[in-house]
Amino acid sequence: MTQPFLEIKNLTKTFGGLRAVHNVSFSMERDQILGLIGPNGAGKTTLLKLMTGILKPDEGSIRFMGKEIVGRKTWEIVNLGITCTFQNMRPFRRLPIIANVMVSCLSPRAMKKGEWVKRLEAKAMDALEFAGISDMALEKASTLSQGDLKRLEVARAVATEPDLLLLDEPFGGLSPAETDLMAKSIKRLHKGGRFGRLHSEGPAMIIVEHKLQWLMKIVDRVIVLNFGTLIASGTPDEIIENPLVIEAYLGKGGI
Amino acid sequence: MDLILFYFRKLLTILKNEVLVLPYRIAVLLFFFILLFLPLWMEDPYLLRILTLTSIFAILAASWDLLSGFTGQMNFGHALFFGVGAYGAALLNKYAGIPPWGTIPLGALTAVLAGLIIGIPCLRLRGTYLALTTLAFPIILLGLVFALPGLTGGELGISGITRLAKSRITSYYIAVVVMLGLCTTMWKITDSKTGIIFHAIREDELAVRASGINTTRYKLLAFSLSGFFAGISGGLYAHFMRVAGPSTLEVSLSFQVVIWAVFGGIATIYGPVGGVFLLFPLMEVLRFWQDYRILMFACIVLFTLLYMPDGLFRWLREKTEKECPRCKIRNVAFRDACRICTAPLD
Repeated sequence: MTQPFLEIKNLTKTFGGLRAVHNVSFSMERDQILGLIGPNGAGKTTLLKLMTGILKPDEGSIRFMGKEIVGRKTWEIVNLGITCTFQNMRPFRRLPIIANVMVSCLSPRAMKKGEWVKRLEAKAMDALEFAGISDMALEKASTLSQGDLKRLEVARAVATEPDLLLLDEPFGGLSPAETDLMAKSIKRLHKGGRFGRLHSEGPAMIIVEHKLQWLMKIVDRVIVLNFGTLIASGTPDEIIENPLVIEAYLGKGGI
Repeated sequence: MDLILFYFRKLLTILKNEVLVLPYRIAVLLFFFILLFLPLWMEDPYLLRILTLTSIFAILAASWDLLSGFTGQMNFGHALFFGVGAYGAALLNKYAGIPPWGTIPLGALTAVLAGLIIGIPCLRLRGTYLALTTLAFPIILLGLVFALPGLTGGELGISGITRLAKSRITSYYIAVVVMLGLCTTMWKITDSKTGIIFHAIREDELAVRASGINTTRYKLLAFSLSGFFAGISGGLYAHFMRVAGPSTLEVSLSFQVVIWAVFGGIATIYGPVGGVFLLFPLMEVLRFWQDYRILMFACIVLFTLLYMPDGLFRWLREKTEKECPRCKIRNVAFRDACRICTAPLD
């Protein structure tokens, strides 16, 4: 029997009286890009945080490549192959950009035994090149603009060589031209291949995003959350037509 | 012979191209030379004694910097490691008869154990809470020392320990060489792969964990490394003073370490070492005004930090060096073009 790549069952998380995620179940395949959308406060980021072990769910299970990941530490989950980026970027501000990425290269998953600093540097450089900020590798992270910080987040995530990449608003704060570029690089990363010394199998992705126009172009399937509950799931075309989704975004009478 | 010549030439090239191009590197080189050759023309026992103690405390300040400056684990109870190292070495020497070269490393290992013992409960704490918790540990141990006077000598401490070395100059050399060696090791650690992770933990621990690094392990590593180096300085102190007393665990010593490090500039290693080498002898110089000694000391430290908030040595470095805007190589301040990529320095 083949196991699903990622299977989430009855996931629930409450903060006091607030049900942030309620009874969410879905599964995805290795070769998919999944869009996760919903109005503000729908529980999208909470769902990602549950998947990376930053938050612990109250109930439910998350199985990734046949392994239960609920209860594991964040770094263990990263080494199993799930990496996330943060919505509000968390760079190491006083370190050079290349050192920011080298931290990811130093994780047990990405680092081969006995790898030298020079080689790790080269790998980090390749990740930066992929994200498009290699020309600023020696600048301090505090000097970066919002858009470049987003790229840094992506570079840092890619450098751990993940199987499943969780991107939290990768287009947030980017100009239309930059968004286009980022969407293209995400698509390219998903195809897999070699980026210099960095080998990528082409990770599966879950993308949380508000810029639906660009998101719909790159995803294979979309799931929609509202008030912590999963209200719809399907291809981008189905979702756009779905009356429940339109109601969640525009309110009753929006149609 | 050719091989020796080859390495000699290589050394000269490094000296010419890497060391003699930056003022702070020249200063470090001079510092090494002066410390190593000082006893040849200076045999004043008082001065040698001050310099030996300064070297011992320089290890302590640098080890604080490794834990609190680099890894960001604010430790306000650093005297714990020093005290454990000192008492460990003293007890082993007095009751087991082990000579200093054995007791000092073993005492340092006890300090590593102490580092792990305080590190584990402190793993979840950060910032002020961590500082307050670490502050409590040496006080607890001080209580234990007073509670067990049979073993620890109570307020008098353990006295009559073997001398560090027979002659004054040998003691001086042991302290100085160990200090130079350990500080170079610490600097190398902060410059390595592990060092990058230490830096990153200080900046944002959650982001490091999300990069797949087991931060628990690295924080404990920082605690034990720092404990080890501080323990060695404690052991050296006990054998040099021939007594391990409660003064090694005092709160004031913990704060002295912080003052030295902040005065010199944290997260640099050279800053705390330089801080100790200025401030510790300064306290001796100020003995002329015995009544106002502490007041003068406080004023000097306060005014320095008011105008140089990043520490004296960082400030000096900023003033004497410029960073190339293109290749980020550091250049001496009076240059117009970068020494490597020849980009104009503005």
